[in-house]
Amino acid sequence: MESSQPPVSSSHLDPTSDSDSDSGDELGPHLTVTQEEQLKVESQVADIYRCLVGVSLHRQSLVLELQRDRHIEYLTKGLNQLGHTFQVLDANRPWLCYWILHSYSLLGEAVDSELEGRVVDFLSRCQDKEGGYAGGPGQMPHLATTYAAVNTLVTLGTERALSSINRKGMYNFLLSMKESLGGFRMHQLGEIDARSCYCAISIASLLNILDTELVRGVGDYIASCQTYEGGIGGEPHSEAHGGYTFCGLAAMMLIDEVEKLDLPFLINWVVSRQGIELGFQGRANKLVDGCYSFWQGAALALTQKLAPLAKEVSEEQSTIHATRDYSDLGIEFLRRCNQTGPLYHHLALQQYIILCSQILEGGFRDKPGKHRDYYHTCYCLSGLSICQYSCMRDGDLRPSTSDVLGPYSNMLEQVHPLYNVVLDKFYTAHKFFSRSSF
Amino acid sequence: MHGRPRKATKQEDPAAAAAKSARLRELQSQLLHFHHNRIYTKEAVSVSSKLLEINPEIYTGWNYRKLAFQHNLKEVSDTDTDTDTETIKSAIEDELRMVEVALRRNPKSYGAWYHRKWILGQKLVLANFDHEFRLLDMLLKADARNFHGWNYRRFIARLKDVSEEEELKFTMDMINTNFSNYSAWHNRSMLLSKLLRKKAKGFHEEESILSDEFELVRQALFTDPSDQSGWFYHLWLLDQTSTPHKPHLVSSWPSDKLNIEISAQFKEKCERFPIIFCFNQQVDGVNLATVTINSKLVSSEHITWKPLSANNSRKSKIWVGFLENFNKYCDNSEGLSVEISVHCCESIVHSEFVMKLSHMDHQGKNGDGFEELFLWDCPKSQEINPYLVSYDPWRLRVERVEEDAKWHLDTLSAEIALFKEMSECDEDSKFVKLTLTRLLGAHNSIKSGGSAYFEEILKLYDDLIKLDAPHYRYYRDERSLVLLDQMTSSKDSLVEYCSRCENSSFSCINPQLCINFSGLNLTRIGFVERLLWVQILDLSHNNLTSLLGLEALQLLVCLNLSHNQIMSFTALEPIKSLQSLKVLDLSFNEIGSHPVDTTRYLCSSPLSHSCNVTETMEELARENIKIGDFWEAILLFESLQLAQLDMQGNPVTNERFRVLVEKVIPCLKWLDGKPVR
Repeated sequence: MESSQPPVSSSHLDPTSDSDSDSGDELGPHLTVTQEEQLKVESQVADIYRCLVGVSLHRQSLVLELQRDRHIEYLTKGLNQLGHTFQVLDANRPWLCYWILHSYSLLGEAVDSELEGRVVDFLSRCQDKEGGYAGGPGQMPHLATTYAAVNTLVTLGTERALSSINRKGMYNFLLSMKESLGGFRMHQLGEIDARSCYCAISIASLLNILDTELVRGVGDYIASCQTYEGGIGGEPHSEAHGGYTFCGLAAMMLIDEVEKLDLPFLINWVVSRQGIELGFQGRANKLVDGCYSFWQGAALALTQKLAPLAKEVSEEQSTIHATRDYSDLGIEFLRRCNQTGPLYHHLALQQYIILCSQILEGGFRDKPGKHRDYYHTCYCLSGLSICQYSCMRDGDLRPSTSDVLGPYSNMLEQVHPLYNVVLDKFYTAHKFFSRSSF
Repeated sequence: MHGRPRKATKQEDPAAAAAKSARLRELQSQLLHFHHNRIYTKEAVSVSSKLLEINPEIYTGWNYRKLAFQHNLKEVSDTDTDTDTETIKSAIEDELRMVEVALRRNPKSYGAWYHRKWILGQKLVLANFDHEFRLLDMLLKADARNFHGWNYRRFIARLKDVSEEEELKFTMDMINTNFSNYSAWHNRSMLLSKLLRKKAKGFHEEESILSDEFELVRQALFTDPSDQSGWFYHLWLLDQTSTPHKPHLVSSWPSDKLNIEISAQFKEKCERFPIIFCFNQQVDGVNLATVTINSKLVSSEHITWKPLSANNSRKSKIWVGFLENFNKYCDNSEGLSVEISVHCCESIVHSEFVMKLSHMDHQGKNGDGFEELFLWDCPKSQEINPYLVSYDPWRLRVERVEEDAKWHLDTLSAEIALFKEMSECDEDSKFVKLTLTRLLGAHNSIKSGGSAYFEEILKLYDDLIKLDAPHYRYYRDERSLVLLDQMTSSKDSLVEYCSRCENSSFSCINPQLCINFSGLNLTRIGFVERLLWVQILDLSHNNLTSLLGLEALQLLVCLNLSHNQIMSFTALEPIKSLQSLKVLDLSFNEIGSHPVDTTRYLCSSPLSHSCNVTETMEELARENIKIGDFWEAILLFESLQLAQLDMQGNPVTNERFRVLVEKVIPCLKWLDGKPVR
């Protein structure tokens, strides 16, 4: 969409200046709990945005600055904590590694080799001898923690990190998680949903071990999770949800079966999730949440690359399908130019992330009033990067200043939206894993 | 990934924290020890309980318990048969209690919810469903949008075989508590879908159910028009009301009972005659096995069928079959009579037509046409009607409207009246306006003719473009479709856009009837099913960026796309399949405005394509033209047999490009209005 106009100013958001707001109090008892919470958030956000009204450009740019040093401090604190408590067995350690190290690399920070060594050692101890990564040493391998571990190692990007992955074992693990009907189980005797499918497909694609055996039936399963709203739910009959919509769409693109989804319908649902608060909500009539800047924003970034191609349907193609080569879909994706501009208000979303989700002392949060955490830090930064690069035209090397809200120094590293790893790291990994099939 | 446990926000004193993590560490290592050594004693299992109580996210713990459960169960059944049921029952109760404790700690724990499903899903004993529903009530009260809870509710209802009617009541209670709870509305739509599908035979039931639902959602919408939940539900209801359950045929070429007069030229020039079926929904399986042909001369082997769609799922709304070498059969005096039946979508689609050689052949013209330049300035003519009479793509629609439509129309009319009232009260609500356009559109799709709401819808889209600028492209696209619907809605309205081309002669069925849709601000194409017979189409001076849909117009000979916003050769993909296309005007577009059209990388190399470019490539190399810079253009032009092409006014055109075009299209006679060679 055209997005040259400035983000919505606070006056639009102020419930007290709204035309029918004077009836607000009398209406009070009629409001549902959901509506009351929504109004509360709207007014909090409006208060924050008021700081942009009537101030000089210089002042605006100060207010909109990304607190890089503070964020790095906050992340480093987390890393050190990780160092001390690596022994504590938790079921999600690889996630913490990924959230922190990916945020680090989005901010352009390098990791020293001592820390890198510790992380690789730790993840190696999480790696099951039969393949796949567990939430901690000795636990069972799990698709979500495997995704986090693989993305972490790709983010580290060194020979040591990349070669520590047992790809043969990984392939067997993924195959053993596969259900006959097409979906993947999260772990042995575990649940099946669109998320597990994405994790499996993303891992296999990054490691260049994706084949027809793993792909079989996945597209049909994900397609069965798309609801009449347009988005994708966790499992058939569930309501559409931003996280699963990203997972489903990205997986479909990685296996080149995106045509099984109703795309216009999907886009229509996702774009409508950006609300008056300028951020995204995760589901219909839920409150805004900074992490959906990535889930919903990246889903739209993916659709920007989809050309309305009328593919020739030929017998030839269906026979090719039997021995399909999936190894270059991730890199082909990057070679395609954006077919449209951003399908959401990319400056507005940056405004929400910087003013409402950013905590000046470092870290990001869901929304004003909530606490910071590493999950939201990772996905707010990822979403911010997606926004900044959303207007890139073919041949552009970096975004133009008008597409980066605030000072140009706010610019983050670019991510590969199919995997959510920084682009340079993706290229390194792609090259590394293209060398051999196993 | 969202909803994973976050760190405790409460600051504990360091000593307590250290003690706690020491305890955790101890329990974890014990659990892993038991797990790896397959120790499933009571004491061992209780360690996992303690651990999961503190952290329900430890999925290895849940898994260990599943293995322990199976192991201990097997042991019981091996030794003692009498106490079976009691032991099993108490083992199950232990597991359920464990899960409950975990869920109280973290109501979004994937592992805990799944463990509960796993235990009950084995149906070893009759579950205490009252308890399950109480637990659900409690959890959904704490968080009415917890999708784990709703998923579990659907699971339990299926397990107990609770009737959908009963579950509907529950969604009603939830909606009454908080009508903004979209999860409740969503579950309601899922339940109703099942109910309606089951009772598809008793139509009256469905109608009254849907009427009640309209009434219900209306209350929510009128209470607060800015609340999203009701609008989504309304959209679902509208879909139930306006979309037919089964796929059906919307149009075909040749249409049923059509007598086609074919000119001698057409007969000679055209080796394959296209037969097209358009359905309202995507269908699959139009092939040799499902098509039967009744004809003296032709049998089903003479026709190959393929779906015309933008994807490779082998499903499509539009199917085309090519009658190969059809000119052989047309020579006899009775003509070629064909009756085709397709056994498809639970019913039989039928078409019967006769092809005959025309007696009134165009005199004085010889050669293979296009000796003269084809010009687009066709004068309007009054003698158009007779040509249109023969082909009637509208009849099928009228037939369908007569059955079962009354309730749908009444319901839609009532809704329309209400929303008009609402829109008068609140002029700036985009939800109200958008829903109104959808209602009016749904009404139009069922009922054609004089009462159609085209003008109103167009006006509403104009309003929406102003009101909701960020989404203006969407509205512009929708507006284009409404406009096309209006123009093609009946023979009378289409005549307004017809003219006769007198300035050339070429192989033709409907003598030189031109459809002129120029200068209408169109951004996309639709309703092609009503234009299957069109041979000359003028779409110039619009805002088209995509040509999706044009692939259906298999009879097109002349196509004018000048003065649009087409940006690349890739966007021209849909016209690649138009085998009869001879005249193509692409002048004054934006083709080549990107320095490099990288969509070409979608195919790894030009050589991987099936087209045979080697000879041409050598020639081009001699002219010092890099094929890599132009190969999407080459692929396009190689697949067409153009006689006349206009490309001027595009960034891509230069002298080298002209040389390339002349080489790639050997049959080309006119380029940019000038004769070739």
